[in-house]
Parts: sequence; structure tokens; C-alpha cells
Amino acid sequence: MKPSKASQRYRSIRRNTNQHYLYQDSLLLGNSDDSFNADETGDSNDPEQIFQNIQFQKDLMANIRCRPWTMGQKLRALRRAKQIVLKFEGRLTRTRGYQAAGAELWRKLARLACNFAVIFIPWEMRIKKIESHFGSGVASYFIFLRWLFGINIVLTVMTGAFIVIPELIAGQPFGSTVSKTIPQEQVMSAQDLDTIWSLGGYLQYSVLFYGYYGRERRIGRAGYRLPLAYFLVGMAVFAYSFIILLKKMAKNSRTSLASASNENYTFCWRVFCAWDYLIGNPEAAESKTAAIVNSIREAILEEQEKKKSKNMAVTICLRIIANILVLLSLAGSIYLIYFVVDRSQKLEQSKKELTLWEKNEVSVVVSLVTMLAPSAFDLIAALEMYHPRTTLRFQLARVLVLYLGNLYSLIIALLDKVNSMNTEEGATKNTTSHWIDPPTFFATRTAPEGGQWPTPGSGMGLRRNSTSTWVLGETSILTSTMPYTKANKTVLYTQGPQGQCWETYVGQEMLKLSVIDMLFTVASILLIDFFRGLFVRYLSDYWCWDLESKFPEYGEFKIAENVLHLVYNQGMIWMGAFFSPCLPAFNVLKLIGLMYLRSWAVLTCNVPHQQVFRASRSNNFYLAMLLFMLFLCMLPTIFAIVHYKPSLNCGPFSGQEKIYDIVSETIENDLPAWFHSVVGHISSPVVILPAVLLLFMLIYYLQSIARSLKLSNQQLRMQIQNARSEDKKKVAQMVEARIQTHEESTKRLPKDSDLLSQLSSVHMVTAQNNGNVVNFDSLSNNSIRLETVTKSLPQSPGQRHRAPCSPLPGESRSRPEEDINRYPHDPSASTGSLQKNRSCTSVTQIQSINHVRSEPLSRKDFQPISRLLHEPGVSALMTHGHRPHAPRHYIVNEHASRKKTHPIFWPERHFKIDALGEVVELYPRNVRQYKSWAPHQPRCPQLSEEEDMLRRDFVQWPVAPRSLTDLPQAFYVDDRSESDTRGPELQPRIYYKSGDDGFEDQFNRPPFVHKKPCSRNVQYPQHPLKPRVKAKFEPSFTESDSVSAASSSDQQNSSTDQHLQVMPRQGKFPRSAGQLGRRKAKSRQALPADLNDLVCSNV
Amino acid sequence: MRLFYRYQDLAPQLVPLDYTSCPDVKVPYELIGTMPELKDNPFRQRIAQVFSQDGDGHMTLDNFLDMFSVMSEMAPRDLKAYYAFKIYDFNDDNYICAWDLEQTVTRLTRGELSAEEVSLVCEKVLDEADSDHDGRLSLEDFQSMILRSPDFLSTFHIRI
Repeated sequence: MKPSKASQRYRSIRRNTNQHYLYQDSLLLGNSDDSFNADETGDSNDPEQIFQNIQFQKDLMANIRCRPWTMGQKLRALRRAKQIVLKFEGRLTRTRGYQAAGAELWRKLARLACNFAVIFIPWEMRIKKIESHFGSGVASYFIFLRWLFGINIVLTVMTGAFIVIPELIAGQPFGSTVSKTIPQEQVMSAQDLDTIWSLGGYLQYSVLFYGYYGRERRIGRAGYRLPLAYFLVGMAVFAYSFIILLKKMAKNSRTSLASASNENYTFCWRVFCAWDYLIGNPEAAESKTAAIVNSIREAILEEQEKKKSKNMAVTICLRIIANILVLLSLAGSIYLIYFVVDRSQKLEQSKKELTLWEKNEVSVVVSLVTMLAPSAFDLIAALEMYHPRTTLRFQLARVLVLYLGNLYSLIIALLDKVNSMNTEEGATKNTTSHWIDPPTFFATRTAPEGGQWPTPGSGMGLRRNSTSTWVLGETSILTSTMPYTKANKTVLYTQGPQGQCWETYVGQEMLKLSVIDMLFTVASILLIDFFRGLFVRYLSDYWCWDLESKFPEYGEFKIAENVLHLVYNQGMIWMGAFFSPCLPAFNVLKLIGLMYLRSWAVLTCNVPHQQVFRASRSNNFYLAMLLFMLFLCMLPTIFAIVHYKPSLNCGPFSGQEKIYDIVSETIENDLPAWFHSVVGHISSPVVILPAVLLLFMLIYYLQSIARSLKLSNQQLRMQIQNARSEDKKKVAQMVEARIQTHEESTKRLPKDSDLLSQLSSVHMVTAQNNGNVVNFDSLSNNSIRLETVTKSLPQSPGQRHRAPCSPLPGESRSRPEEDINRYPHDPSASTGSLQKNRSCTSVTQIQSINHVRSEPLSRKDFQPISRLLHEPGVSALMTHGHRPHAPRHYIVNEHASRKKTHPIFWPERHFKIDALGEVVELYPRNVRQYKSWAPHQPRCPQLSEEEDMLRRDFVQWPVAPRSLTDLPQAFYVDDRSESDTRGPELQPRIYYKSGDDGFEDQFNRPPFVHKKPCSRNVQYPQHPLKPRVKAKFEPSFTESDSVSAASSSDQQNSSTDQHLQVMPRQGKFPRSAGQLGRRKAKSRQALPADLNDLVCSNV
Repeated sequence: MRLFYRYQDLAPQLVPLDYTSCPDVKVPYELIGTMPELKDNPFRQRIAQVFSQDGDGHMTLDNFLDMFSVMSEMAPRDLKAYYAFKIYDFNDDNYICAWDLEQTVTRLTRGELSAEEVSLVCEKVLDEADSDHDGRLSLEDFQSMILRSPDFLSTFHIRI
């Protein structure tokens, strides 16, 4: 019962303090409002000041968004600030006003433009919609897609503007040259679907591919150097991609630098940052919940796993097996691709007519492998029992390796094929020269120009459309009748379309792969996601198990896999871009389609992945993968460019030994001689070697700088950490103090239950108390002394009754009685109802009787007083006088516990502050005063006053509770009104004075406020850095306190009414700042003097 | 403007179109909570309470505007952190104590975690973020923790 009582009180007080806190808060805000007023009213003529004021208001206007005020308050403040600005701005120079207006206008325009620009950001609304439904993880995929789209747009513009359009405009028209004409034997089938499907026919001889571009060094009237442009653009594509990627990565790493700090908040983040407030879709919310549960469980598991080490043998075995499986499947896929390419090559050679499957099997197989293998890896990964995040990493790495392996095996197989083509070509050439010895001269000499010549031999080509050996045979026959050159020409001519143009072939394959990949993506979206979604949604009602939650479920949107697929796709583009200039353009189309399809699929039939891989915008992981991909895709292309000889009779570089020869050739022929010589010098080892050295040095230098910066960064961080830990230490000390008080309070809560026993023990001890008082005085332990004194309080009234009773049984009886007493006391204190107190009159009386018995050895001071006091007013006290016991006992209880705890928790060192000393000093005087004052007590017509006071209490109580001090004050008044002796009354006052100080200290820590008057004593010596607020409040309170004390002394002379009127005023005082400790001390010292004076005069 | 229409849409019968004359209208929480943006948010009640004037979840237009200005992408992160703290502070005592945390976790997980797990999580959270070891998170603790989170800013906003 008692603990609950105590806790109730605790709570009520805490509520009060909370209110107070809020109030304080609002006052602070109000203060800011006041500051406006002050600014407004305090207008001076000093322009600088006005300007500053205006600046301040403008700052306010600019930052108003950042303040945690409510909208109404913001609006008010804004309006006021604007008014002020308007009012005063006119006084300043005009230019300033114009400047400001201009800036304002500019800001508005910029904002408008910003809003306008959003309309033109492609898919912005769509992405936002997805984001709002599925959270930022899924949206990041689309943002990445859009970014890739942007890159591809730039690449398309580059190739389109510098290669394709010039070729179309100024190049030789279709059919004008050999390389731009479809061979006669293919014309028939050139428009067939399967030809077009396999990118043959018209498509093969179009701007799509390398082979179409002419080899004239200059085209058109302007003399556009197409081959040079082709080469440079091909390189620029890579360069641009590199630069943009690195730039983006640098930007991202800069933004994510702050968050890259050590992750020691895993649980916090999982709890507080887990929910994606964007989610507005029940399904997404559900899966997000599941994801959060998973992640929390996972974290718990992780935490537990840190502690225990489990049987690793099995898992290690499993992991080894899994890795072997993965490696096997990787090798299998690579072999499969190589095999397919090889087979298709053989088929092409052996068979004339290829079926649709045979033509497309390479790309189909590659796409299939890329589609199926990740799921297989997924299954294998389940075997490994890794942590989910690690699993995902592994999965991504494996899939990336797979994709790369696929691309590489494909390109290597293709290059192999190209190699064999070249050797074949060489072989046929050899045979040609063998067969027709005499014309070899011509052949070799004229070969480079073969492509340029007009094509009269198409008719011949028509006849000789079979294998090259046959052609050669016929050529040998023809040599007798035809000019050598023509024969040579026809030989070369017939060889060309047969597959000599390996660049076109590679480009074709890449484009084919890309197309098939797109088709597979579409198909997989439709089949796996859409139809599955339809199936699950509409059949789940009729199925024997729950389709939505069991087996097929809805398709998940696997962000990581999809992003990887994008990366793979982009890699294909980079790889093929050189051989097929229109590949980026095609990719643009593909990405657009993918964007719409994916977003549609996501919105209609997908649920987000449960294991959301953190893929926020600032994540460099995907970009790093992309960069890796770019690098690896660039290698084969560069290798092909450098290593292979360009095809002889197609493409812009035909006839050159190496593709890059075009650059040196241009430098030699088209630029002035001095430039040539300069380039020659630059490219000489004399320059290059030092340059390389310099580069190395630079790299080393930058790296060392980076290292040192990192080191200093670390040190700074350490410093911050240190500072923070120091702060923490301080806070911890503070908290320790708080905890101690808290413990104290918690101790007191249980203690309250046995408070009575304590109390009784106190009563028992009171015998020693007389001696104790002296002891405590000598210790100058303020609080203890106060308590002891106040403790003696109940004893004095107790003696009033002087009922004969045996001490020990009385004590034993007093327990329940006090229990009851205290219980009604609280409501009575808060409501001020007299009746309740009266209802327990008898109880209190008995109790007081107990007191009498229990303290036969009470202080001498008290005894005479109480006797004096009691004798006149016994009868009155029978009705009213017992009321004091409840509150007083209450206080006593507190004191008793405190008395117990304080000596334990607070050694004397805590009480070193002067003010305290003064209080201590002050104290004896008060006691003295009280002694001297006491004799006058009986004189007063107490009863009416008391009732009056109580009523006032009743009024005051609801009015004043906003400030904490009122609580004790009211308490105190209550107490005093009930107390018969004026003397003891001062003691609780003093006590509360010190208590008030404590309370003010505690303002910022509401729950502890009521607990201890001594807390200040602790905090002051320990925390000189405490917030200033306290320091500010405290003196003001004490001042008001002293005022009240002074007034109370007045009022003691005149009447208690005045005293009470002073009390409520205290609530208004606290805000008045600027009271210093000195003042307090002075007033305090003045107070006893005053009192003494008053006492004297009274006497 | 859009926000106003959204606000009006919530309770067409309550909110007049001409807002200059009649500023004292409140939309009850039941309607606020059914906004598609908030419908699935486990903290919708807290959000409404924090931003409403008297903590009962009924919002005036000003409160409504407030809410979405804090939740917009433009709001500074300190402000966001401040309000996030208030949202997670279920009993409004300016500290996030273990009870608040339990509430948070159970709402987040819709009660799918067992009691031990929840208490373990709360303990861990307090362990991690409580820099002054008083068994609860103050605003400073919370801010220093949340502002270091990589995706707090990206997740703590509502798009309307």
C-alpha cells in the first residue's frame, strides 16, 4: 500500500514537473517571441543596428523551416519578421533593398525553373511512384537504370553524330561499293524474316555494322575524316564511360563518407531506421515487416553467434562442396558457350542452309545460361549456410563471374573464329598465288584497292557463288581470258562477303546477343512474374494450398540480380560498340522498353525482396561492379583493335596493317610538318620514359598524401572520440549522482513501507537525537541537521498530548496508524480537504500519543515550547491540531529515510559550497529564533487563522502547481497552518529553502525532482559546467524564497494572511533572472537578522 | 496547395474550401490514419499525435502542413531527427525508455517477435546508443545515433 502511495505521489509530482518542463519550453519559445518584440520596440536610429536586426530577421525567415515549431508559430514569427523587415528596410539605403528584392526574385525564378525541370527528368514521376510503393531499395534499381540510360544516350549521340550521320549523308550511298552491296546470292533471301532475325541481309549491310563504313579518308565536300572519327569515337566511348563512372563514384563516396563510420549501431538502426516511411502499399508493408523481423532475428542470431562457436566441420565441408559445384557450373557454362560457338562455326562452314536454331544458338545458349545459372547458384548457396548478407555477396560475386565468363568465352570464341578466318584468308591467298603465279604481283599490289574499284564483276560473282576453292578454280580458268586484275578483284570480292569482315561478324553477334537477351528478359518478366502473379492471384482460391504464401508465391523483385543484369547488359554494349556503332542506340531503346516493362511488372505483380540489399543511391557497390565490367569489356575490344588486322575489304580501316594506324597516318599526312615532328619527339622514348616515371611518382605522391590524410583523419576522429568520452564521463558522473538519488528514491519506496519501523526507530533514536543534533552541527552537514531538527518536529507536538502510554507498544501500534495517516494526507495536501484529515483525527491522536511516549528524551528546546504551546490550546487541538501530524509525519518519513541514506551516499565532501555553509549558519539562528519565537505562539488566535490558511491552501494549490516550488511551499504552508507552534514552522521552511534549491537544480530532470533537497549539494561541487539555466533559476528562486521568508516573518507579526499572499507570488518570480549567489547569501544572512529583530520587537 | 486539397479530400464535409475565414477545423485521426501515405505505417498514430497540437491525433491544417513539411525531402536532417525522436518517444517523457523501445519493436514487427527477443533487442539498442548509461535514450543520444545512419534520410520521408 505504501509503495503504491509513494509511487503515486512520485508520479503526480513527475507530471507536474513535466508540465513545468513543457511550460518552460513554451516560455523559451515565448522568449523568442519576446525577443522579436524587443527588437521591434527597440528600434534605434543606428543604421548598423537596424541592418543587423533585419539580417537577423532574414536569417530567421531563411531558417524558419529548420525550427521545430508548429506551423502556426512559424507563420507568426515569419509574419512578424517580415513586418519588421518591411518597416525598417526603408530606412536603409535603397540599393540594399533592391539587392534583396533582386535576390528574392532570382530565388523564385530558380525555384520555378527547378520545378519546371523536374517535368523533363525522364520517369521522375514513375520512379517516385515506385518508390512510394516499394521503398527506396526498388527505386534505386530504376534510378540506376535511368542513369545507365543517360550514359547510353550520350554514347548514342556521340556515335550518331560523328559516325552514323556523316556516313549516311556524305558517304557513298547504299549499293555503290562492294562493301555496301548485298551479294547477289543473298539478295533473294535478304528480306526473309529469318535472315533479318539473324541480322543478315539488309541489316548486315547497313550502318548498324562496321563493315558498311567506307574507307575513304575523306568524305563529302567538307572532307570529313570518317575513319579517324570512327577510331576516335570508339575510344571516346570508353573514355567517356570511364570518366563519368569515376565521377559518379567519387561523388557518391563523398556523400557517403559521413555514413562510412564504424557500424556500432546495428540494433539501433535496425529498429529506428528500419521502417521506410515511403511505403504506402499493404503488400509492400507486409514484406517490409517480414524483412524487418528477419533482419532483427538475424542480428540476434549474429549476436548469439558471436558468443558461441559451433560445429564447423560440417559447414566447412558443405561450403567446399558448394564452391566446387559453383566452379563446376561456371566451367560448364564457359565450356558450353565455347562449344556452341565452335559448333556454329563448323555448321556454318559445313552446311549451307542453317535452321533458325542453328543460327541463333549461340546467343540463345548464352542468354539461357545467364538466366538459369543464378538460380542454380541460389540453390547452391542455400547449402552453405552463410549469413544472409554474406550469401548475397557471394551470390552477386558468382553471378558477376558467370556473366563475365560468358562474355569472355563468347568473345574469345569469336576472336578465335576471327583468327581462323584470317588464317583461312591467308591460306586462300596462298593458294591463289600458287595457282596463278604470274598475276600474284598484281594481286598483292591491287588487293588494297580492291574495295574501291567499281564492281563490274557482279555477274561473275553470281556465277561463282560457291566455295572459294571452286572460285579459285574458275579464276584459274578465267585467267587465260580475262585481265589479271579483274581476276584478282573477283577473287577478293568473292572472299569478302563470305565472312571476311570479322568486325561485322563480332558486331552481329553482340547485337544478336543483346536482342535475345532482351527477348529473354521480356519473356521472363511475362512468364515468371506476370503469369505467375495472375496464376497465384486468381487460382489461389481454388487450389489445395495457399498459393500466395506457399510454393509459387508472387515473384520477388530481386534488386541485386536485376542490377547485375543491367551491368551485364551494359558490358555487352561496351564490348560491341566499336564493331557496331548503333549498339548504344539500340541499347537506349532496350532500356526504355525495360524501364516501362519493369516498372509495370513491379507495380502489378511483384513483391519486394525480403532480404533487401542496401542499395541506396549513395551506394558505390553497383558502380564498382559497373566499372569492373567496363574495364573487363574494354580489354577484348582493345586487344582486338591492337592485335588483329582489320578486314581487307570492308570497314573504314580496310587496307591498313592495324586499326590504330589511322592516327599516325593522319598525323603524317594531314597535319602540318611541325606537328608531326613534335608528335614524333613526344612519342620517342626520351619523352615517354620520363613521363611514365613522372606519372609513377605522382601516383606515389598522391597515395602517400592520401595515406597521411587518412591518418590525420583517424587522429581527429580519435580526438573527437576522446572529447566525447570525456563528455560522456561528465554525463556519467552526473548520471551517477542521479542514479544514486534514484536508488535512494527507490530505496525509499520500499522504505516507505517500513518507514514506520524506521520512524519508530527514529523515535526510539530521538533519545539520541538530542546528542545527534550537536554532532551534526559540528559536522556542518546541513541536510542531516535539518532533518534531525525537523525530525524532532513531530516530537514536539507529540508532547503536547502527553498521553500516558507505554512507549514500546505505542510504537508498535503507530505503524498502521501512520500508514493510514499518511495515506489521507496526500489527497488532503493536494485537495486541501479538511474533512479527510479530520476523519483520521483519532488515529493521529493516538499516534501523537505514541510520540509522546517515544520521546521522553526529546530536546529541551522543544519541551518547554510545546508545553507552553499546548496548554492553552488543548481543546482546539483536539479538533485541528492533529492534522499536522499527517503532513508532518510525512515529511518526517522522508527525512527519516533521507537521514538514513544521506550519510551513506553523500560524504561531507559534497557540502562544500559557501551557500550551503551559509544555510547551515543560518540554521542555528533560525532555531534560535524559533526558540525565542515559540513563547509567543500561544498568543495567536490560531484556529481561525489556521482554517483560513487551509482554505487558502485549497485555493493556492490548484493555482500554483505549475512551479515546483509551490509544491513544497504549499506543503509547507499546509504544514505550518497545521502546526501549532510557530517555531517548528520555520524549520520546514528552512528545510524547504534548501529543498527548493535542490528542486531547481532538478528542473531538467523531472522524475527526481521531489526526491532530494540534497541533490544540489552533490551536483554543485561535481559539475560546475551544469547548464546555465539552473544557475539562473536557482538564485531567483532562492531570492523569492527569502522574500517569502522575510514576508513570512512580517506576517508572523501581523497576520498569516499576508504570508500566504506572498506565497503564490513565488510562481511568478522564477523567471526573473540575474540574481546572483551573492545576493542570495546576503538575503539569507539578512533574513535571520530580520527575524531576530522581529522577534525582539514582538517580545 | 496540393497539400491543402489533400487535406480537404480527407474530410470534404468538414473542411471548407475557403480557408481564410474558418481556421478552426480539425480532421479526426481516423481520417488522417487512412491516408494512403500513412495507412500502412506502423507509427501513423504516433505521427499524428506528435504533429497534432494537443496530442490526440486530430489535426488542423497547420498541423497537417507541419507534418508534411517535416516529412518532405527538403527538411533538414536535424529537424527530421528531432521529430523522429518524438515519434519514437511513446510516452512523451522526452526520453526513449525501454518501454518505448518495446512499443517500437512490436509495432515494427507486428508482434512477430517473442517477448524475449523483443527485450533482447531493446537491451541491445540501449546498450548501443545510450551514451550516458542511464537506461534510456535522450534526444542527444538519439540524434548522434540516427544521424550516422546511412539510410535514415532516405527512408524518413513521406511523399505525397
